[in-house]
Amino acid sequence: MKLKPTTLRAFTSLHSWVGLLAGLALFVAFYAGAITVFQQPLRQWASPHLAANGSLDDMQRLLDHVLARHPAAHQSLGMTFPGYFQPSATAYWPDRHGTWQFATTEAPEGRPARPGAPLPDLVDELHYSLGLPVAGTYLMGVVSLLYGIALVSGLLIHLPRLAKDLFALRPGRNLKRFWQDAHNAIGVLSLPFHAVFAVTGAMLCLSVVLMMAIGPLAYRGELLAASGAAMNTAPVRPEAGVDAPLAPLSTWVAQARSTARRQGIDDFAPQYLKLVHAGDRHATVEITGTAPHTMAAGTLALDAHSGTLIADQLQGTRDANHATLAWAYALHFGDYGNAAVRWLYFLLGLGGAFLFYSGNLLWIESRRRRRQPVQGRSSRVMARATVGVCIGVCAAISTTALAAQVLPRLGWNVDTGERWACFASWALCLLWTCLRTPARAARELLWLTAAVTALVPLAHGIATGWWIWRSAAAGHADLAAVDLGALAMAACFAMLARATARRARQGEPNSVWAEESAA
Amino acid sequence: MWARVSAGAIPGFFLSVAAIGLIDWLLPGPWQAALLPCMLAFCPLWVGVICASLKFADGKRAWLWLSAAAIVGLGLLRALQALHWVR
Repeated sequence: MKLKPTTLRAFTSLHSWVGLLAGLALFVAFYAGAITVFQQPLRQWASPHLAANGSLDDMQRLLDHVLARHPAAHQSLGMTFPGYFQPSATAYWPDRHGTWQFATTEAPEGRPARPGAPLPDLVDELHYSLGLPVAGTYLMGVVSLLYGIALVSGLLIHLPRLAKDLFALRPGRNLKRFWQDAHNAIGVLSLPFHAVFAVTGAMLCLSVVLMMAIGPLAYRGELLAASGAAMNTAPVRPEAGVDAPLAPLSTWVAQARSTARRQGIDDFAPQYLKLVHAGDRHATVEITGTAPHTMAAGTLALDAHSGTLIADQLQGTRDANHATLAWAYALHFGDYGNAAVRWLYFLLGLGGAFLFYSGNLLWIESRRRRRQPVQGRSSRVMARATVGVCIGVCAAISTTALAAQVLPRLGWNVDTGERWACFASWALCLLWTCLRTPARAARELLWLTAAVTALVPLAHGIATGWWIWRSAAAGHADLAAVDLGALAMAACFAMLARATARRARQGEPNSVWAEESAA
Repeated sequence: MWARVSAGAIPGFFLSVAAIGLIDWLLPGPWQAALLPCMLAFCPLWVGVICASLKFADGKRAWLWLSAAAIVGLGLLRALQALHWVR
């Protein structure tokens, strides 16, 4: 496709603007999202004690206990199988007032606090909402749309030189060229990954709002009603009004496994279930699970009383709606495949964070006044915002991980304490960048982040006794990986801090990143 | 640039709705069968329309053409639905 020079300029301008509007939020989303890939290991790591995986019998006892104690759970109840969300089974249901209640095999009485360590949930919240309540998710949906526009416009700008420059990385006098090459190479080489996130991110954040807008326009107002049926596995059956006992969990699981096997899916492993109208003759249970060599094995709906199959949406035979959902979720969350897939997602996520960081650097660089030390106001503001938000969120997440180990020892409320640690440290970093020159703030905050991140495995060792070598020797690869990952990231932050300091001393003087730059 | 981008965002939104609606209702089988793939395709399509709107010579033309296309598209969809020619 050949673009006219004026059109090309418009795309360049559009790319800068959407980058400006969405770049910082995208950095947070990608950095926190890369860490969220390891949500399960992180939950283990942040829990004060190591629990072995529970059994199906424990899960059955939890189910019986919850149903006996909580009439509201009969209407609708969800459960995770042992080893999916955490080592033991969990149950959750809305009480009479609509408040979610949670129970685990260790704490079978319902309470409104989510089970498990809150650290991974907080990082996840940063990922999908920047930690902002309610509006944050919609904001991130709009950010996803802007991200899509940035991808298309960026690709179009770069298209004429795409093939020639793909593997070009030109270090040397022209620093802007070097950053531009790095930005382009990462953008193009990880384009499929980014396309997936722009599409699924927008879907996850905005689907309800968009369906409400599209329904009356193109679907005669029937869209929302149809979407429920498109997502559920079995049609909702009304209560029969006749009492009937539930079949045991083991019967449901056996039925799910044998049905999956008949459809060519071996080793179906249940992950979570949804049970409605428990105790009624028309009780229905939906079991979702995974299996090796599938993107997401799928869901089966069973008659919870007799254990017979009502309907299934398994890979290979499921309809277009369920296939779309399964693929979109699997591709976004990266929970198919083995650890290699997760590490790939982690690295591509960090690469994405670099893409947005380097985009901001390029924006500043292209506005640099080369012949005078005092830089423009917009460059200084942008440099400060980039340092404060991007390096600040790295420092904040590491601080939160530190708090996750320290707070339980002090007997404080871990959930509230972690929130304070996260947002207060982030705010302090932002404040610090307002007080210092961008070059100094970047160097200092990078050293700070390196130090805090290096303390994370230390705090874990002191607080729980699970030092890296002990975790590794005992075969707890998850724990050792989190600690080693923190050390590796601390080393990266230290290298970045040294590079920033070198740039300030030896790089071109007239820049926001130079030592003498006036504030 | 902003005049063209806003044309892509506002009338472009309605044009994208019309296109997704037409695709979903014209595909073989009831529209419910392809609902979620079409919903998933909506955002990339809208983003594509916003970017393509920069190909117009100026904002006025972009607004006119995209609005006209959206009205025709939605009108056609409504007519097909009312006549029960699609399902």
